[in-house]
Amino acid sequence: LSPVLYAGERRLETYPEKADLLLLTARPPQLETPLKYFKELITPNEALFVRWHLANIPTSVDLATWRLVVHGEVENALSLTLDDLKRFEKIEYTAVIQCAGNGRSFFDPPVFGGQWLNGAMGNVTWSGVRLRDVLKRAGIKAGAQEVIFKGLDNPPLPTVPGFAKSLALDKAQEDEIMIAYEMNGRELPLLNGYPVRLVVPGWYATYWVKSLSDMEVAAQPFEGFWKKSAYRIPDTACGCVEPGSTPAKTIPITRMTTRSLLINPQDGSRLKAGRPIELMGVAFSGGYGIKEVSVSVNGGLDWRPARLGKDLGRHSWVQWYYPMKPQKAGSYDVRVRAVNSIGESQPLDSLWNPAGYLWNKIERNTLIVV
Amino acid sequence: MRIRLLFILMTICAGGAAGAADLHRITLPPPTVSLKEGAGVYVVRRYCSICHSLDYITTQPKFPKAKWQTEVAKMIKVYGAPIPEESAKVISDYIAAYYGTGS
Ligand code: HEC
Repeated sequence: LSPVLYAGERRLETYPEKADLLLLTARPPQLETPLKYFKELITPNEALFVRWHLANIPTSVDLATWRLVVHGEVENALSLTLDDLKRFEKIEYTAVIQCAGNGRSFFDPPVFGGQWLNGAMGNVTWSGVRLRDVLKRAGIKAGAQEVIFKGLDNPPLPTVPGFAKSLALDKAQEDEIMIAYEMNGRELPLLNGYPVRLVVPGWYATYWVKSLSDMEVAAQPFEGFWKKSAYRIPDTACGCVEPGSTPAKTIPITRMTTRSLLINPQDGSRLKAGRPIELMGVAFSGGYGIKEVSVSVNGGLDWRPARLGKDLGRHSWVQWYYPMKPQKAGSYDVRVRAVNSIGESQPLDSLWNPAGYLWNKIERNTLIVV
Repeated sequence: MRIRLLFILMTICAGGAAGAADLHRITLPPPTVSLKEGAGVYVVRRYCSICHSLDYITTQPKFPKAKWQTEVAKMIKVYGAPIPEESAKVISDYIAAYYGTGS
């Protein structure tokens, strides 16, 4: 798993309201969660990864003047304070948030972009209000097609496209799409989108617009840069193409693929022969519960089911456990594979696409028994 | 004396609370990345830090020069990086030499 192609030195940095995280870039800040935090079912607010696109990020928010505005194809334009928002019905669920480029550093041939290992993800209990309820209050006009979301971040130069994402109206009105004002029962850290961010469970975090401040109901499909040119995958069944090649046609990335990871002991750990240990890790998939996780400790020859931990619903990750008592000294090739409730699983070999998205191959971990 | 102190404290707290309760502010630590010394490093520092920190360069995998030329061209064409043509060449030469595969 070691990122041999990674040119930069990774080091831990302390950012405000955050634990020591692995620094990718400073302006805008991009910080990765060390794997040890995933031993817990819920990722602490301080440990959640940070990913912004544009260097002009909000470093202060004054709730006295902050508003969430809803405008465009609506009967009543809204301008809501945080207190106004909190008067809508409160909902809560646990959901995995994962950057579309999580695992990008493992792509071979390598690709440009944030060189994430596997730490651009986390499992968080989100609370807030239904996007649908807010849209209903505004009253959507007939013929509207999409909702466009913008946050408080701004481009460093006027020639750089401002960050914005959109959801088709059907998607935006699904029951679970949330405007979240709490992570794990507390306000969001500024770097994770204080005071509110969009939560689109099952879909990659690119849609989870941070420091959300502007929602425009639009009559036309949104054609902005971050949808038309960025965050796109090949329009093929696997979302992949021949490594190194250019896809004929691309579509926007949406739902997360199924993944499972070994978290403890970590890849490369040394174990004592004859001493029993329990392997553990996490498994999740884009909006469908995990049905089964199996583990192989001999490089994929034999697979046995792992025990699954507490079920927090289809958007949460589930922890898996697998007892192991290695008798012989040597190197063990440990692999984990998850299957979700609609039969989606993980590929044996890495699938490739030019932007380095959808990484979910069955990881190879080495445990050294001495 | 006691009463006066209490009064002062109360005023400070009340004054402080109005602003502090509504304002959420952080200060980011300064970027710490530094580029290796070499021909062209000043040009890279000057142009490639206009929009983001230079760790956008140093954290990339090792790419050949042709890839870096395309990446620099993308910054100019897609994001409007104000970089003269001669400087673009100096930049991709430098990055390929110090953070890429060389040729
Ligand atoms: C006009 C603004 C601007 C300038 C100047 C600029 N960049 Fe960028 N660059 C961007 C933006 C915007 C991104 C995308 C940021 C993101 O998604 O995190 C980016 C991303 C990158 C990336 C990450 C990979 C990618 O394509 O997203 C690299 C590498 C990079 N820039 C290198 C450079 C180099 C080298 C220079 C100097 C020649 C440069 N940049 C100058 C705006 C700029």
